Order: sequence, then structure tokens, then C-alpha cells
Amino acid sequence: MSLIESLSTNLPKLLDGAETTLILTGLGAALAAVFSPGLALIRLFGPTPAKMLLRAYISFVRGTPLLAQLFLVFYGSGQFRAELTGLGLWSFFRDPFNCAVLVFVINSCAYQTEILRGGIEAVPPGEIEAARAIGMTRARVLARVIFPHAYRIAWPALGNEVILLMKASALASIVTVFDLMGRTRQIFSRSFEFSVYFEAAALYLLITVVFVFLWRQIERRLTRHMRRTQGS
Amino acid sequence: MPPKIATDLVLSAQDIHKSFGAQEVLKGITLGARNHDVISILGTSGSGKSTFLRCLNCLEVPNSGSVAVHGEEIVFRNGRIGDQRQIERLRRHLGMVFQQFNLWTHRTVLENVMEGPVQVKRMPKAEARDLAEGLLARVGLADRMGHYPAMLSGGQQQRVAIARALAMEPDVILFDEPTSALDPELVGEVLKVMQDLAAEGRTMIVVTHEMAFARDVSTEVVFLNEGRIAEQGPPEKLFDHPETEVFARFISKTRRDFA
Repeated sequence: MSLIESLSTNLPKLLDGAETTLILTGLGAALAAVFSPGLALIRLFGPTPAKMLLRAYISFVRGTPLLAQLFLVFYGSGQFRAELTGLGLWSFFRDPFNCAVLVFVINSCAYQTEILRGGIEAVPPGEIEAARAIGMTRARVLARVIFPHAYRIAWPALGNEVILLMKASALASIVTVFDLMGRTRQIFSRSFEFSVYFEAAALYLLITVVFVFLWRQIERRLTRHMRRTQGS
Repeated sequence: MPPKIATDLVLSAQDIHKSFGAQEVLKGITLGARNHDVISILGTSGSGKSTFLRCLNCLEVPNSGSVAVHGEEIVFRNGRIGDQRQIERLRRHLGMVFQQFNLWTHRTVLENVMEGPVQVKRMPKAEARDLAEGLLARVGLADRMGHYPAMLSGGQQQRVAIARALAMEPDVILFDEPTSALDPELVGEVLKVMQDLAAEGRTMIVVTHEMAFARDVSTEVVFLNEGRIAEQGPPEKLFDHPETEVFARFISKTRRDFA
């Protein structure tokens, strides 16, 4: 079978898988991004017990394989089926897609929190003082000075984290999610056609290239004040 | 009971003590500013002059003492901030110009000046823009409004910082060594703006090493030594007839340096 033929038969399924991969990654990264700013602040300025708890969570997530975390939630939840049913949560955990999203959120949130913490710590202290000196409230200092700088500083590292998450999302195929990797494995198991792995790799690469391009456009906007050319 | 504060003072600090760890940097400083006063604070490095200025708007929280602005007094105990809202209110009456400018680098010159009125005073944007444009024109930067701070010289940045402080219409402007980080040829343009502000009757407290400014522009000079006020009075009296040996030495040394 020629490559063209192989692609034309496989592509619809692979694209369907790629869509799942994008949703899985996007949802995981975005939900994690909702929680990470607050957690980064607690990590830095929170009460000591909360800080310790967060550090334990972050060490756990960073110190154990994502696959193990996925198994823990997917197979672990089965052990507590009765309890989860009682809580009305079983229908959520029964779906491997939901489990994968949940694990990705928990995982990415830990990384994003650490990245953002570094960003916040690197904000020029003089600019924070200037904001306090004109009588800004703490919330306003965060919104107007600290987070704009912190996200600008953290932006490349955050992009890196999203790319890593996107590639790691292939692990979801192991708990029967039909993402890009899941579809690929499915096609291979039926046809033993090795080239499908190349096609999948090409799609992963394509996703990454497009993502990197878009991310860099935003980065250019975030850093426009650092170029020594004429402003708008 | 803290001592009663004279009512004609726009800003007054009573018996300010401040320690960093075991080291006592300010050992009880009392200072008041009337409307239109221009007070220069001099002192050797380590004398506590910047720390004292930063205590006035609570960027450093004094261990004890009190600060009163606009009829509202904040009393410090054990170096704690009692009421954060009260401190924010106090700061709105005090402008601050920093040695390192501290402009918000991610905002344009115009946005830097508009920021306080819009974000703190809730002024409508159009009104804040008019105000900011007027102030930037006054400090000679009408043609730089769309620039980011990184594109400006130190002197220009410091003038933006002064416009930013003025935009809050403060009762008193605090200057923390405003020319110390500037190249020598840029010092003049900043001093000129400060001189104009003094001439129009702005109340200013200036920590500085510029002896000429202290002597010619200020209405009162305060000399700090080892965390205490060593000498205080009108500049002509202090400079011509220093009472303490430390201050005499300080002037003669700076004279030699600038000769």
C-alpha cells in the first residue's frame, strides 16, 4: 500500500484522534492555568501549613511518573466505586477521558504553579514599591504590576510545559482514550501497517510547530516594551 | 498618648524608630512639613536618611512612632501594620520619586502617568489622559508619551516618574536621592524640574547629595547622623554656621569633592 493510500484511509481516524489530543491537552492546561496563579501566591505568601501542603503536592506530582498518576486515578477510582457512586461521582470517573483530564490538570497545575512562582519572584521589586507608593491596594498591585510581569517572565517556560503535556497526553491511550496515539495503536493493531506511526509522529510535530508559532506571537506582544524600537 | 500634632503641618512624623534586626537605624526622629516647605535631608551613607523617607509613606514600617498626613494619624507599635487601608489612604496623599525611577516598564510613558489616577482614584480615562498629557508636557516629554521606559534616558525616566507622582495631586512629594542614579550630564534636567516645583509652592521632602540644591532651593535643611537629627534649620544658617563638628566635616568634605 502506498503512502498516499495509507494516509487517505487512516487520516480521518487520525484527525479524529488529533482532535481528542487537542481537547485533552487544551482542557488540562487551561484548567490548570485557572488554579495556578492562586496556588503560586499561596506557595509564596500563604500561611505556613498551606505552603507545606502545596510543597508536598508539587513534590508528589513532580516526583512520580504521569503514567502512575493516571493509573492511580483510573484504576484506583474503580476500587472506590461504591463510595463514588454514593457521592454521585462514579459517572465521572467511569469515563477514561475524564480521568485523563483530571490527572492532566493535577499534573500540569503543579508544574505551572512552580513556573509562575519563579516568575513572581523575578518581578522587579522597585516597580512593586512604586505601585504601593501611590496607594494601590494589594489586589491592584497584583493585577497591574506583579502578574503582567510574572506571566511575561514565565511565558516561554509555560509554553514548554504545554508542549510536554501535549506529548505526555499520548499516555491517555493506555487507559483506552482514543486520542491521536490511541487511534494510531488501533489502526496498527488491525493492519500491522508500521507507517501509521510516522503519520502520527508527523501530526504531533505539526501540532507542536503551530503551537510554538502561536505562542511566540503572544510572547512578542508580551515583550514589546523590551525592544528598543519606536513604540506605537 | 503621642504628643499632640500641630495643625498647620501637612505631614508630620513623631519619634520614628526603626530597626533592621538588631541594628537600630532610626533612633527617634521628629519632623514636620508645612505647606510650601522644601526640606532637604542630608547625611552620610548609613545615616538612615532614605529609611526615614521610606517610613513616611510606610514602605518601611517603623517600629514605633507615628506619621500624620492630611489630619489622619497612623501610630506604629511593634513594627506592625495595623490597618492596611489606612496606609493606602495615607500613600495617596504622598508622592514618591525613587532613586532608580521604578517606572512600570511594561507600560508606556503616558500609561505610567495615567495609572495612579485611573487605578487608584478611579478617574475616567479621558480625564486622566488629559491630566497626564499636561503633566508630561510640563516636564518636557510631550513627544515621548507613546514610548516605553526602556527607550528613555535616565533623566527622561526620572522626569516621567515626577509626572507620575504629580498625577496623584499629592500634598507632599518625597524624593529619595532622585539624581543619584543619573549620569552627571542628566542631573541638571531633573533638578530643574524639581526647582520649578519648589518655585510653584509644592511641598517637598528631598533626600539628596546635591548640596547646591539643598542650599539654594530648600527652605529647611535636616542633617541626619547615626539615626538622629544632628542639625536642622534654614540652609543659609546651617551651611554658614554649622553647629556640630560632624556637619562641618560633612560640608567641607562635599565641598572638596565638588570643587
